Amino acid sequence: MSSFFDIGYVFEAIPKLLSYLHITIEILVLSIFFGLILGIIIAVPRLYKIPILKQIATLYISFIRGTPILIQLFLIFYGLPFIVGMVGIDITRMDAFIFVVITYTLSNAAAFAEIFRAAIQSVDYGQAEAAQSIGMTSWQTFSRIVFPQALRVAFPNIASTSISSLKDTSLAFSIGVMDMMGRGDTLITATMNALEVYVALAIIYYVIVLLLEYGYKFIERYLNRYLVKEAI
Amino acid sequence: MIKLENIHKSFGKMDVLKGIDLEVNKGDIISILGPSGSGKTTLLRCINFLEKANEGTITIDNLSLNVKTAAKKDIIALRKKTAMVFQSYNLFQHKTVLQNITEGLLVVQKKPVKEAKEIALELLKKVGLEHKADAYPSELSGGQQQRVGIARALALNPEVILFDEPTSALDPELVGEVLDVIRKIAKSGITMIIVTHEMNFAREVSSRIVFMDGGVVLEEAEPQIIFNTPKHERTKQFLKRLTPELTFDI
Ligand SMILES: Nc1ncnc2c1ncn2[C@@H]1O[C@H](COP(=O)(O)OP(=O)(O)OP(=O)(O)O)[C@@H](O)[C@H]1O
Ligand SMILES: [Mg+2]
Repeated sequence: MSSFFDIGYVFEAIPKLLSYLHITIEILVLSIFFGLILGIIIAVPRLYKIPILKQIATLYISFIRGTPILIQLFLIFYGLPFIVGMVGIDITRMDAFIFVVITYTLSNAAAFAEIFRAAIQSVDYGQAEAAQSIGMTSWQTFSRIVFPQALRVAFPNIASTSISSLKDTSLAFSIGVMDMMGRGDTLITATMNALEVYVALAIIYYVIVLLLEYGYKFIERYLNRYLVKEAI
Repeated sequence: MIKLENIHKSFGKMDVLKGIDLEVNKGDIISILGPSGSGKTTLLRCINFLEKANEGTITIDNLSLNVKTAAKKDIIALRKKTAMVFQSYNLFQHKTVLQNITEGLLVVQKKPVKEAKEIALELLKKVGLEHKADAYPSELSGGQQQRVGIARALALNPEVILFDEPTSALDPELVGEVLDVIRKIAKSGITMIIVTHEMNFAREVSSRIVFMDGGVVLEEAEPQIIFNTPKHERTKQFLKRLTPELTFDI
């Protein structure tokens, strides 16, 4: 066991950890993709004030917001097989990775639903009326006029949610998913270089966040193209 | 031809339109005048179902809709025959000037891109904005935005264009350019229904003036009749207040 900080081991650990990066990215991409779809679905009852469904959506969002993601992870990991088991389907052997994706999807969906609702409400209703007045259908109005502008408003919040979500994926290993964090854990057990491994992990997560932020900035610039320059 | 029969509209307990009948012939230019709150905007919005009237029949050409039973597809069919110019322009902010005009041509009329662009550029020339084709609405003055709004309405070649106070959101020095454009298209024979507070303009371009008050049409006549020998007290008071130079006695 080394008694001093071994900077060399940090660089040794980075490629080992990076070989599990794809797991982290897969969790992130899948949970954001499905989260966006589910988020839009959850936003609808509140936007259109559909009774009962609206209350369910509100409760869902407040529950997700009010509980730690780690607990949600355990609730899904232990609870979902139990619930599904009641209808006779055995998913106890399902890959932990899938439970992680489900949890993060559910969690992201709640955040995205609120983001979408606010963004859609922020789009000036007059433009939707203008679209309808020329004979566009409700769907054409939504998809061509309202949604693209709502997306501009929503994007910075979607981006920051996705960055928190990336960091949250580091909890996936607590139910046994071998991601970067999980790999780090095994390296620590094998070498006792805990600090070095955590420094390496911190560097990796930080660099990914920086890259994401850099990419998001380009997308944001594109989405803002039609605003007056001073207003941005 | 446009025919409104017995249009009723209420918001909650407030009756805003109390049985409006109106007939508009092809090429007519109708100005609707009346005090604030008399239901002018509501009437225009009922014509294209942005507001669903509670009762009545709306006929445009061969399409006749009872407002109570009109199905979604009938409403869309009717909207395709109309276009609207809004007080606050309501341009699509994320689309360029050109795209604002081509949107309906491409999406509603399913015209090929090339043809849509040609029509849009032609109309931009007509409203004097061909050099702004690639600008976004946020880069235009109010007057320019409204001219784009008018071009967008014209593009669809509607049976009727509905104008709701097209100049009242504009700075005074920009009103003229928009009225000039409306005058110009008025001469081209397209049917228009205009809600306005611009008395001189209404007097000059209209083939007929409709005076509304309290949710009913009080009187309806050619401009020279309305402005020189109005029948109702309410009409006289209203016109006198807005155009003090008028000569009739109250
Ligand atoms: N969506 C609505 N909900 C409730 N009340 C409304 C609504 N729209 C209009 N009203 C009311 O209906 C009445 C008529 O309004 P409308 O906008 O048609 O008047 P107007 O003649 O266009 O007035 P103005 O000259 O001020 O534009 C007003 O009392 C207004 O407050
Ligand atoms: Mg009005």
